[in-house]
Amino acid sequence: MTEVDRRVPDTRGKNSILGFGRQVLRVESSSVLIATILLVLVIGALRPNFLTIGQLRDVLNNSVYVALLAAGMAFLLAMREIDLSVGAMFGLSLITSALLMREGFNPWVACLAGIVLGAVLGLANALVVQHIAIPAFVATLATMQVYRGLAVALGDGQQVTGLPLEHSFFTVLGGDLLGLPVSVWILIAVTIGLTVLLRWTPFGYRVRSIGSNPDAAAFSGISIPRTRLYVLVLVGAVAGLAGVLGLAFFTSGDPNIGTGFELQAIAAAVIGGTPLRGGVATVVGAVFGAILLGVVSSGLVYFSIPANWSSFATGLVVLLAVGVDSALRSRRRARESMLGL
Amino acid sequence: MHALTARGITKSYGGVTALAGADLTLRPGSVHALLGENGAGKSTLIKVITGAVSPDAGALRLAGAEVSFTSTAQAAANGVAVVSQELNLFPDLDVLANLYPMREPRRGPLADRAAMLAKARPVLEQLGLDVDPKARLGSLSLAQRQLVEIAKALIVQPRVLILDEPTSALDKDSSSRLLDILRVLRDREVAVVFVSHILEEVMSLCDEITVLREGRTVLDARPRAELDIPSIVHAMLGQDLPTPVRTTGTPGGARLELRDVVVPDRLAGVTLSFAGGEVVGLAGLAGSGHTTALEVVAGIRRPVGGSVELPGGGAPRDFRSAIGAGVALVSGDRRRVGLMLDKPVWENIAQVRPVALAGARLLRTGALRESARELAGRVGVKPPNVDTRAGLLSGGNQQKVVLAKWLAADPAVLLLDDPTRGVDLGARAEIHALLRSVADAGKVVVLCSTDLDELVVACDRVVVFHKGKVCAELTGDRIDQHTILRTMNTGEL
Repeated sequence: MTEVDRRVPDTRGKNSILGFGRQVLRVESSSVLIATILLVLVIGALRPNFLTIGQLRDVLNNSVYVALLAAGMAFLLAMREIDLSVGAMFGLSLITSALLMREGFNPWVACLAGIVLGAVLGLANALVVQHIAIPAFVATLATMQVYRGLAVALGDGQQVTGLPLEHSFFTVLGGDLLGLPVSVWILIAVTIGLTVLLRWTPFGYRVRSIGSNPDAAAFSGISIPRTRLYVLVLVGAVAGLAGVLGLAFFTSGDPNIGTGFELQAIAAAVIGGTPLRGGVATVVGAVFGAILLGVVSSGLVYFSIPANWSSFATGLVVLLAVGVDSALRSRRRARESMLGL
Repeated sequence: MHALTARGITKSYGGVTALAGADLTLRPGSVHALLGENGAGKSTLIKVITGAVSPDAGALRLAGAEVSFTSTAQAAANGVAVVSQELNLFPDLDVLANLYPMREPRRGPLADRAAMLAKARPVLEQLGLDVDPKARLGSLSLAQRQLVEIAKALIVQPRVLILDEPTSALDKDSSSRLLDILRVLRDREVAVVFVSHILEEVMSLCDEITVLREGRTVLDARPRAELDIPSIVHAMLGQDLPTPVRTTGTPGGARLELRDVVVPDRLAGVTLSFAGGEVVGLAGLAGSGHTTALEVVAGIRRPVGGSVELPGGGAPRDFRSAIGAGVALVSGDRRRVGLMLDKPVWENIAQVRPVALAGARLLRTGALRESARELAGRVGVKPPNVDTRAGLLSGGNQQKVVLAKWLAADPAVLLLDDPTRGVDLGARAEIHALLRSVADAGKVVVLCSTDLDELVVACDRVVVFHKGKVCAELTGDRIDQHTILRTMNTGEL
């Protein structure tokens, strides 16, 4: 593990776990993290009520779903693909799970079914991409509608209510553990798992190879269709997981939930430092990007902005945050090139 | 009056000196060869002349008047045109649109296609480029695209025309046509700068020769008649190249067999046998089937008749199964299909064995770097730092990285297609030595090359293809450029 980054002299804390953690953060996502913290402090300075444990916890909890979708999206962007159906897969998994529970299935079984359904929807995306031979962007533009339409039809256009809220599914997944919501713990676990998968397995290297130069990847014996299939299934399963976590938190199924999440997930991944050109990606950055978006939307509530202007203001703050992030990033690049790296 | 003179041109990039007082003198109506190893400063000098970079010191005079170009557009407007090694063309546009980037003749706000065509016709005819101007550029062959690039430069009627390795993708027909074109340019009093690695070609095409070494001019505009190839090589390297050593295959080693292989329009029943321990060259004109034979062995193309037997037994089903069976394919097109230019050297070297061929497991970055360092050292990548991005390396070192990533997979059959295209002489010799060491380890090495000298220097045996058939197998003293060239053109020894 001495190899994380030996090019930049960092004498402080080289032997401590803290030092290692700092290095990992630096490699993965430092600038988006700094942008997020700055934003929290600015909002906190202007509206001190924002800086309470409860409020920050809520921000985290509300960001979990987009963060999970963004983590999966980072894999796709790394191989120059995009999945527009993640928000719809999230919604359809949530509704299906809720309906199964209402029909009397054990909620844990329904939960598992929701995750598996997500994976199957991802597989369907992959098969469409493969057999019609179109980019994932186009294929998922269509399946987004299909999945969303299914969710609305299955839910009959109405909220799915009357769920067994006292069941352990709701009390555990919707509850807390060691001071943090369980869903946040799950997000942390998924983030670590996906980071390991992307960075330290042959599969992760293949994904990034394909994004870096698809022709060279194919000429090295990497199967692009197979890798893409695995990634799309993975993204579906993660969307399914996000769906059942959402159900546990919201305790009812709204067929239109998650509309627009796909664009937020893409934005979060890009803000986090995963470029659209492919080849590199950071799961941690994508998750922080989603948290940044969450901070923006929760923070705006404190500024009594007229409802009709909130979308405008959100866009402006996102631009500002991305600007800070980009400035930090280019400063670091300049420093690196001065060192002749 | 000189067409263009450059005096004492100096340029350094962040402490690395690319040019240390280089001179260049071009006469109108003369074809001038600019030679030097990669890194000698040729491309920087050309960039200075064409306004792509501004020099730190030195003077540039065009027809006697001092100039300093701030952009390539300005240089082009003053009659300095370049045909570059990397084709700067738009594959999705048609031929005509490609001839006029940013300078279409207009009628009102619209491009005047009729005027474009009228101007392009004579140039295309002169070049012997017989294609429909409305054809999509992407549908043209590589050699035709290169001619389009040349046509694009000629349309502006340049006073100085720089041809940066124009023949690396041309077949012999087009090369001889280039000879005719150069004749036309001479008559028009254009000063032509010809950058090439193929010295035979330089000797047959050029009137004057300038050689750069380490950013300085070591031979300044010397008439060709005063020089021969050994003296030029000596000037380029400062030393002489070793003479080739030939061996024959070790009997009983690995064997690769092709039996009566048929591929429609490409191979008409080819039977070949390759033994481990020898380096076998495949020669032929473009489309004569020698590269198809490589593709068949690599599983990229399925023959409709005959059979292929890999050293491990069995035929390749597809490219991935061929790789699994120990076949490696090194392409000369390293930027497109060989490398991830934005990734460090170690990730490129890791791409085949630990990444493409491995199952699910954790990869330790440290271990990957360590083995990459070892391989990079073995093939002699310079600088030896495996954290360098591949895109920053010179062409020769990039090609060594491609070789290293395949050697990591320990292939039984090493196939190479023009592996030293655009590679300087020193690195080329090192790559040839590597091929020899791979062969000495009992592997089958098959080399396709458009560079005939490469076949002569690196191969123990040369198989010549003509119209889809093997027409000759040359060994020993019969391997010389003259024989290969004649055989691949006529089909007879």
